[in-house]
Amino acid sequence: MVIKVLRPWPKSRAGYALSELLVASWIFCSISVGLVMGFTALERNYAATTDFAQNHADEMRISDYMAMDLRRAIAVQAAQNNTTIYIPAYYDSSGNPQTPALDGEGGVYYGTSGSSVTVHYYLMAGTIYRQQATAAPTPLAVNVQDFVFDVTDSGKVVTTRITFNPTFNSAGASANAITATAFYNTTLLRNSRTDINSSVY
Amino acid sequence: MLRRSSKTIGSVLVWTVLVIAILSMIAVETLRLVTIKYQNALQTSTWQEALLAAESGIDLAIVELRKSLYPAPNYAWQSWTNSPSDGVTGYALTTVPNAGLNGMPMTIEANVDAPAQLIDSTNSWQYYRIRTVGTIPISGPARASDNPQDTKLRRLSLRWERFTNGILSPHALAAPQVSRRIEAVVRPVSAFDQAIMSVGVVDLTNQNIVVDSYDSGDPTKSTNGLYDVAKRQENGDIATDGQLIDAGNAQIYGDVATNAGTVSGVANIAGEERTDFYQEPIPIGAPSWNASNPSVTLVTGTTTITASPTEGSVASRYILSGISLSGGKTLTIAGNPDGSQTYVEIYVTGDISVTGTGQIVIEPGVTATIYFAGNVDISGNGVLNSNNQPSDLMLYGIQPPGNTPEHVNFGGNSQITASIYAPGHDVTVNGSGTNGHVYGSIVGKTVTMTGVSNLHYDESLGATGMINNYKIVSWFEDNR
Repeated sequence: MVIKVLRPWPKSRAGYALSELLVASWIFCSISVGLVMGFTALERNYAATTDFAQNHADEMRISDYMAMDLRRAIAVQAAQNNTTIYIPAYYDSSGNPQTPALDGEGGVYYGTSGSSVTVHYYLMAGTIYRQQATAAPTPLAVNVQDFVFDVTDSGKVVTTRITFNPTFNSAGASANAITATAFYNTTLLRNSRTDINSSVY
Repeated sequence: MLRRSSKTIGSVLVWTVLVIAILSMIAVETLRLVTIKYQNALQTSTWQEALLAAESGIDLAIVELRKSLYPAPNYAWQSWTNSPSDGVTGYALTTVPNAGLNGMPMTIEANVDAPAQLIDSTNSWQYYRIRTVGTIPISGPARASDNPQDTKLRRLSLRWERFTNGILSPHALAAPQVSRRIEAVVRPVSAFDQAIMSVGVVDLTNQNIVVDSYDSGDPTKSTNGLYDVAKRQENGDIATDGQLIDAGNAQIYGDVATNAGTVSGVANIAGEERTDFYQEPIPIGAPSWNASNPSVTLVTGTTTITASPTEGSVASRYILSGISLSGGKTLTIAGNPDGSQTYVEIYVTGDISVTGTGQIVIEPGVTATIYFAGNVDISGNGVLNSNNQPSDLMLYGIQPPGNTPEHVNFGGNSQITASIYAPGHDVTVNGSGTNGHVYGSIVGKTVTMTGVSNLHYDESLGATGMINNYKIVSWFEDNR
C-alpha cells in the first residue's frame, strides 16, 4: 500500500485569502485617493499661487502705468474701473516733442493753448485697457475680470487701489481675502491742474 | 544570508533615477520661474529708480539756477558745459556710485536751455526748460520680461539706448540699462510771492489783524487797481523758515506755513496750515552799476531826485551815502509832469532816517527801487507813495555782513504801500491803530507788526521785483 503524504503548498505558490485582498484593496484605494487628492490640492495650490503672482504683477503694471500718467496729469476724472487722465499735448502729430509756450498766467502749455490728450483706463470683457487719445487701446492685463481699480482724487494727490479675487478657496474669496490683495499707489501730481484749483509742488 | 535578484536591484535603480529626474525637473522649473520673477522684480525696481535719477537731474538744474541768483561770485554753471540761453544748452553729467540697486551707479544727465518763446513779455522773466535722463544699469542678463505688457511699459534698453545726452538718438549698448526722461519747465518766483515771509519769527502782536489779498492787475480782483474788500482774495499767505508764527488772533485769508513749527493765536485760517515750509531767501548784494547819476549823493534836507523814462539808465540811478530827513524836510522823487511811467533806482550805502514831519514822496508815475545797506527808520507817515501801488516802491535790504543786527522800522503810518525785502533785517511795521492798512508784501529776518489792522497782499507782486527762486510749472515724462 502506498501512502500519499500530502505536503502543504510552498509559500511562494500560496494565494491570498479574500479578507487579505479586501484589506489590501482598501489600503491601495486609500493611498491612491490620498495621492490623487494630494496631487490635486498641490496642482490647485500651484495654479492659485501662479494666478496670485500673475495678478500681483498685473496690479503693479496697471498701477505703474496709471502713476506715470498721473504724475504728468493736468486733469483727472476718476471712477471705478473707468478713469480718464488728461495729460499735456507734448507730442505733435508725428510723435515728436513740441516746444512749450507760456500761457500768460504763469503756466506753460504744449501744442495749442488749452489742449490736452486723454488717457482712458477701463475694464472691458476681462481686460484692462489704456487708450491714449484715439489710438488703439493697449491691453494692460488680460483675464482680469475680477479686478477692481478705484481712483481716489484728493486734488494734488491721487491714490489708486487695485484688488482682485484670489482663487485659493473653491468657495470663492472672502471680503478679507480680497482686501488683502489691495495694491495702493499714491501719486503726487507734478503739474498744476486745470480742472480744479491746485498749486504746483 | 538573504540575496536579492539582479532584477530587483535594477528596478530600484530605475526608480531612484526616475525620482531624481522628476525632482530635478521640478527644481529646474521652480528655479526658472523664480529667476524670471526675480529678474522682473529687479528690472521693475531699477525702472522706478531711474525715475528718481531723472528727477534728481531737475533738482540739480534748479540748484544751478538758484545759484545764479546770488550775488557774484556765485559759481553757477561752473561744472556745466555752458550757461544756458536761447539756443545754447547747458549740459551736465553726474554719476552717483552705488546709488542704485545692487550697488549700481546712477547716471544723471541734465540739459537746460532758455528758449526765446519762454520769456514772459510782461516782465521779461525767462523760463527755463530742463530735460533730464536718469540711467541705471540692470544687473543680470539682457533679457526682456516674460510679459509683453511689462516690456511695453518699461522700455528697457537691453541692446539699444534710445536717448543720447537726453536727446532721442538711439545707440548700441554694451550692457543692459534703464533710462527715463523728463522734461520740466521752471518759472521764476518773485521775492514777493507771499504776504509775509520771515526767516525767523512772525509776530502779529495780538492786533486781530486781517490778512487777505487782491490783484491790482485784475479788475475782477480789485477796483481801479486798488484793494476792494468786496473782491477780497484768499492768497494772503504767511510763511516762516522758523518754527513760530504768532498770528495774534489774525483772520488769515490764505495759507500759513512754518518749518516744522507751530502757529498760535489764529482766529481763522481760510487756507492750509502747513509745517513743511523752507525757502532760503536770496541775499541782496550791493548794486554793481558801472555809472550813476551824480546830481545827488546825500539827502539831509529838502531834495528832489528826478526819475528817468528809461529803466536802468545812468540818469535813473543814484548812489547816496544816506538819507536823513526831519522837521518838514522832504525828499521828492519826481517823475514826468504828465504822470507817465518813469523809473528810479537808489542805492543808499548808509542809513535811511525819516522822522518828525520829514517825508519821502514818490510822485505819480514813478517806480522807485531803493537798496539800503544800513538801518531804516521811517516814522509818522514818512512815505507817501502817490501811485498807491506796492510795486512802485520796492525796498531791498542789502545783506548785513556776518550777524550784524540791522532793522527796518516803519512807524505811525495809517497807510503803507510798499514792498519790503530785507531777509537780513528785523522788520517792524507800526500802523496807526484800528485803521492801519499795509498794502504790499514784507520779507524780513523777523517780522513784527503792531497797530496794523489790515495787511492786503497784492498778488501782482508775484510777477515783479527780484527773482528769489524757480518753481516747476510743467512736468512731463517722455516715455517714447
